[in-house]
Amino acid sequence: MSETWMIIGGWVAAGLTIFLFSFLYKDNPFFKVAEHLYLGAGMGWWFQVYTYNILGPKVWTPLMAHDWMVLIPSILGISLVTQFIPKISWMSRYGFTFLMGYGSGLAIPASLSTDFLNQIGGTISPFASLHTMSGFSIFNSLLVAAGVVCVLFYFFFSLEHKGSVKKISNVGIYFLMVYFGAAFGNTVMARFSLLYGRFDDLYSFSSQHYFYASQIILACMAAYFLLHGLLGKKKDEGEEAAH
Amino acid sequence: MLKEKLQKFFKIDRRWIFLLLAIILFIPIVKPIGLPNKTISKDTQNAYNFLDKLPAGSFVLFSLDYDPSTRPELHPQAVAMLRHAFSKNLRVGVVTYLAGATGLIGQIFEKIPAEYDKVNGRDYVIFPYMANAVAVMTQMSSDLYGIYDKDQDGKDTRTLPVMQGIKTYKDMALVVNITGTSMLDYWVAYVGDKYKMPVIGGVTAISQPGYGPYLQTGQLKGLLGGMKGAAEYESLIKTPGKGTSGIDALNLAHLLVLILILTSNIILLVIRYL
Repeated sequence: MSETWMIIGGWVAAGLTIFLFSFLYKDNPFFKVAEHLYLGAGMGWWFQVYTYNILGPKVWTPLMAHDWMVLIPSILGISLVTQFIPKISWMSRYGFTFLMGYGSGLAIPASLSTDFLNQIGGTISPFASLHTMSGFSIFNSLLVAAGVVCVLFYFFFSLEHKGSVKKISNVGIYFLMVYFGAAFGNTVMARFSLLYGRFDDLYSFSSQHYFYASQIILACMAAYFLLHGLLGKKKDEGEEAAH
Repeated sequence: MLKEKLQKFFKIDRRWIFLLLAIILFIPIVKPIGLPNKTISKDTQNAYNFLDKLPAGSFVLFSLDYDPSTRPELHPQAVAMLRHAFSKNLRVGVVTYLAGATGLIGQIFEKIPAEYDKVNGRDYVIFPYMANAVAVMTQMSSDLYGIYDKDQDGKDTRTLPVMQGIKTYKDMALVVNITGTSMLDYWVAYVGDKYKMPVIGGVTAISQPGYGPYLQTGQLKGLLGGMKGAAEYESLIKTPGKGTSGIDALNLAHLLVLILILTSNIILLVIRYL
C-alpha cells in the first residue's frame, strides 16, 4: 500500500473512531454517518468475502472445470433462499433437512464427549488419586465437585426447593455468583483493553506522519459541539422572546 | 446539609467519568509509567512450557481467528506466541476461519518472520481463509491437502519444504487457537478430544472464565486470557510488546473503577446512617 493511502487510511480510521466516540457526549450527525457507514461497509465486506472466497473458488471454478458434483451442495444452498418466495418455499426444507442432519451428526457426539462425559470424568477422576495429591489440590477437587453438585441442584426443578434441597441449591447460587463476578471483572478488563486499543491507534494517527489527523478531527468536533451549543442557545432565546 | 451535598455525587453527569477514564487510559500511551506485571498465571505458564518443550522442527498449527474488533487483546497474544515458535525453530502453519483475520495475519507476517530469518514456504505457510470451520477441521484429520492444496499465494502446498511429512493431525505437534469467537470450543471438541491433539488457546478476557473446565480436565494444555495473558507471555519470552504497554493503562483504569466503587459505597453508607 502506498504511503498516501496509508495516510488517508489513518485519517478515515481516526475520523470514524472519534465520530463513534462522540456519541458518549451526545447524539450528532457525525455519529450517524459513521454508524451507517459501518453497516454499509460491513455488508459490502461480507459480500466480497462470500463472492471471492466461497462462490468463486468453491462453486464457479469447479463448475468451469466440469466438476458437476458441486451442483448438489449449490442447489441445496440455493434452496434455502426459496423460503422468501411463498409459492416454492417448500423447497427450502431440503436444504434445512441436510443442514440439520449434518449439523446434528457432527455436534451431538462431539458435545456429549467434550462437554458432558469429559467434564464428569474431570470432576470425579481426582478422587482416584487423592493419596498422591497435595492438601490444596484435594481441597480444590472437593470444592469443584461440591460446586458441580450444588449448581446442578439449583437447576433441578423436579424436586420442590425446600429443606435440605433448598440449602444445597442456595449454596449453588453462591458458586454461580462467584462465576458471574469473575466473568464481569474480566468483561470490564476486556472492554478497557479494547478502548486502550482504539486510543493507542488514535495516538499513532496524531503523529506528524499522519499530519496530526487525531488532533485536527478532535478539534473540529469540539468546534462543532461548541457552535451547535451556542446556536441552539440563541435559537431557544429567540423562541422565548417571540412567546 | 451534608447529606444533600453527598447525594449530588450520585447525580454527577456520567460524561465526566468517561472523560476521566479517557485521560487515565491516554496517560500511559503518551508516557509509559512502567507499572510492574509480576504475576504469571498458571495457564499462561503451562502454554509457554508446552510450546517451549517441543523439539525444533515440530509443526505447530496456528488458527488465528480474530478480527479488528478484538485486535487489542488477541493480536499481541498471536505475536508473542509466534515469536516464541520462531525462536524455537518450530515449523508454523497458519489457518483462519474468520475472513476479517486475513489482514491482521498479513500484518504479523510482514514483520515477525524476518526478525528470526524465517522464509515463507520453508519455515512457515499461510493457508487461505476457509468457511465452515468444522468441515475443514474434520477434513484435515484424513488429508490436509484435500482442503488446503494451495497456500495463500496460490503455491502448491505439497511441494513446500515446510509441509514435508505433514498430512494429518498425527504429523503435527500442537494446535494454537487465538480467537474472539467460539472457535476454540470447536478445536477442543472436533480435534483435541477426537484425535488426541494438544490444543492451546488464546481468548478474550470475557471468554476466559468459561474455559476453566477444559483446563481442569487437561482438554486445553494452556490458555492466554485477554491483554493480561499477552503481557504475561511477552514477559516469559522476554520481548515486551503491545500487551506489556497496555498493562499500565489497564492497571490505572482498574484503579479508577475500584476508587469509584469504594467512594460511592462509602458515600451511600454515610448517607444511610447520617
